[in-house]
Amino acid sequence: MTARLVARDVRKDFGGVQALRGVSLSVDEGSVVGLIGPNGSGKTTLLNLLAGAEKPTSGTIELNGRRTDGLPVNRVVGLGIAKTYQIPRPFLAMTVRENVAVAAMYGAFHRKAGEARDDAGRLLSLVGMDRQAETVATELTVQHRKQLELARAIATGARILLLDEVFAGLSGDELARSINLVSKIQKELGFGVLVVEHVMRAVLTLSGHVVVIEEGRTIAEGAPQEVVHDPAVVEAYLGTEVARAPT
Amino acid sequence: MRFPTFGPTLYGLVLLMVVLGVATPFLPIIVKVQLINFLLFVGLAYALNFITGLTGYVSFGHAIFMGIGAYALGGGIDRLGFPPLLGVVLGAGLGAAFAVGIGLVTLRFRGVYFAITTLVLFLAAKNIVPEISQLGGGVGIFMNLGFQPLAEFYTIWTIVVLEIGLTYWVTHGRLGYGLRAIKSDEDAAKTVGVNASRLKLTVFGISGMFAGATGAVYAWTLSAVLPDTGFDITYSLRMLAMIIIGGAGTLLGPFLGAIIVYVPYNYFQTVQSLLGLQLAVIGALVLLIALFIPTGIVGTIRRHVPILRRYIE
Amino acid sequence: MADLGLVVADLVVGLMLGCVFAVIAHGLNVIWGVTKVVNVAHGEFIMLGAYGAYYLNVYLGFNPVLSVPVDAAIGIGVGFLFYFGLLHRELRGKEAITRESEMVTLVATFGLSLVISNAALAIFKGDAVGIRWTPETLALGPFDVALGGLYVAISSVAIIAISDLFLSRTYLGNAIRAYSQDIGAAQLMGINPARIAAIATAIGFALTMAGGALLTVWLPVGITPLIGATYAPISFVIVVLGGPGKMWGSLLGGLTLGILIDVLPAFGISASIAMAAAFLVLIPVLLFAREGILR
Repeated sequence: MTARLVARDVRKDFGGVQALRGVSLSVDEGSVVGLIGPNGSGKTTLLNLLAGAEKPTSGTIELNGRRTDGLPVNRVVGLGIAKTYQIPRPFLAMTVRENVAVAAMYGAFHRKAGEARDDAGRLLSLVGMDRQAETVATELTVQHRKQLELARAIATGARILLLDEVFAGLSGDELARSINLVSKIQKELGFGVLVVEHVMRAVLTLSGHVVVIEEGRTIAEGAPQEVVHDPAVVEAYLGTEVARAPT
Repeated sequence: MRFPTFGPTLYGLVLLMVVLGVATPFLPIIVKVQLINFLLFVGLAYALNFITGLTGYVSFGHAIFMGIGAYALGGGIDRLGFPPLLGVVLGAGLGAAFAVGIGLVTLRFRGVYFAITTLVLFLAAKNIVPEISQLGGGVGIFMNLGFQPLAEFYTIWTIVVLEIGLTYWVTHGRLGYGLRAIKSDEDAAKTVGVNASRLKLTVFGISGMFAGATGAVYAWTLSAVLPDTGFDITYSLRMLAMIIIGGAGTLLGPFLGAIIVYVPYNYFQTVQSLLGLQLAVIGALVLLIALFIPTGIVGTIRRHVPILRRYIE
Repeated sequence: MADLGLVVADLVVGLMLGCVFAVIAHGLNVIWGVTKVVNVAHGEFIMLGAYGAYYLNVYLGFNPVLSVPVDAAIGIGVGFLFYFGLLHRELRGKEAITRESEMVTLVATFGLSLVISNAALAIFKGDAVGIRWTPETLALGPFDVALGGLYVAISSVAIIAISDLFLSRTYLGNAIRAYSQDIGAAQLMGINPARIAAIATAIGFALTMAGGALLTVWLPVGITPLIGATYAPISFVIVVLGGPGKMWGSLLGGLTLGILIDVLPAFGISASIAMAAAFLVLIPVLLFAREGILR
């Protein structure tokens, strides 16, 4: 059975600020959904709600028909939903392999220690980090930390991955390589992905479906090319970024 | 069938304990007593290591479990007619139970707040227990146990061996991975599925159990439980000093720390005016180590002498 | 049914004691609020302030209130020493204190407290000493008010009021407050973080030692090198009660504890249990009002 994560009419208030005003979307295993919108539109808040880091003020979040809103983060991970941090937070005292192994042990896979270490090795090869496997996380470059963050999320065995601006700060060849890597892994392992991004090229290349939110509401959704030319979306971004995105 | 290979440090410690276990009956009384006291220190060090060493949650009031264990033994022997060994088991059980109860509330607090709360609970216990007449009130409980050095020795010896074994098992298995993740970044640990609350509570309970058992044996050696010796802040301080100096979270650290803290304690015991000096020296060591080599002796060796990393943990 | 007169008398004593508690906690509060560092050796500096007042009393005949400026001056020096010796390495260049730093300073100051209290034990010896100062008791209607306690209480409130004025009205004070809220932003406004943290630490120690001097009134025969072990936890509880960094919180917390410690015995509760209760108040506050009782 394929996994399906659904957010229905989700609202989130922080004191007087309404971060989300009734957003609905769904992500299926095997598909890639892009979530875009100007700064402050509520994208990260929505990710946090889906991951269990926050509770919605109202509305529901369901995984395969079962409510996940209100569950603690580690339970949500156990059910198969994993999120990456925008600014990577590796376990600094542990090696790269150990970082990934922990995720394999405690995530949905729930592996034993020995198997988890083996799984970690294989996953690191897939992501292209096997040379850094025994490096302690404090010594990693920012780019490697981002890759580790991704590998760790995958290692939990999640069927739905929530990626928070993994392509931020990349450009040119590096960006193309990263996009290809994510695409390749996603196709090979078959999980579903919700990609929150500002880097249009990545979103348009990877996503099958794009949702645009502004000020906590959905203003457009559909196939990437449709959404890109939607006047409401162009206006929300003041036209520049979207208009320049290569097809 | 695969024979599991254990690290050299574990072999070394086990060997040391075996030697102690075999040789002690033949040693003079004075040495027996010193060994018992030394192993009490070791027992306390490993107990605190389970929580403070493995998760980084600093417990200033851990002597509370010693007191609970001591009073468990006293109450068990005096009121219920237990033999001392059963009193120690009771001490372990109550230590674990109280630890879980306390931990359910206090482990929600992070860092500094947790540390202060444990201290506050210890002080509250220290103030409340002497008011309970069933536990001997302000005077305490006196047991007529006689001098049983070998029984006392082998009891604390067993406790320490169990602690060493359990420390090794925890640090090498799944639990160890989860704890290290919590120690590095508790929130990030949750995002990879670690049930931080449950893991912390588990090691806190283990820690309370061993501290309670050790406290019970301590009371056994004194054949008395007095409010001042039962809840003695200097033991909390020594416990913390031992693992900081030796290396928090390591297998060898608590043992090494215990040696370093015990030797001046034993030496200065005889010279009353220098009693305070022993703690001042230990305090200075802790201060210097915290500032310059926070991972303690074992941690620092592992970091700076890579060749030894395979042998010392 | 408790004797009303006794309860009121105890209440007055509790309030006066609470004012002094407020000052000793205030020192901790300033350092904690600004540098986010908790000084485990806090109690030892209270003790040093008390001994300072004691020796000033013995050799120069100073009463505790008069000792305050002297102790405060010493405190400023000690504070700078403490900052540059200890904190500077941990705080330098950091935007916020990391968890590792927190543990390091916790453990380092723990070591420091062992060193100071035991060194003091060796130097001052363990015998309890006390200040000789007996102003009369004032008769206010049916109550007797110990004037010593009253003077000290008034001084305490004055000290807290002055520190509050300083923090809100002067440039330096506002710089300190800005720093404690957001180091990065404060730096952008041209504030030198190391200078600010050092000054705040110095002020904190000045308050701590001044508080120790004032405390001697309540320890007529009880100044020992180990009093830190009692007054440090009291200070921690007060700061959490009032909220770390909230200036008037020290007074609120201090008064609360003072009342608990002194009034409960009037209702037949033993002094030890009252003390335990005062400490345990910490837990509900942490569970339900993490920022302290003051919003």
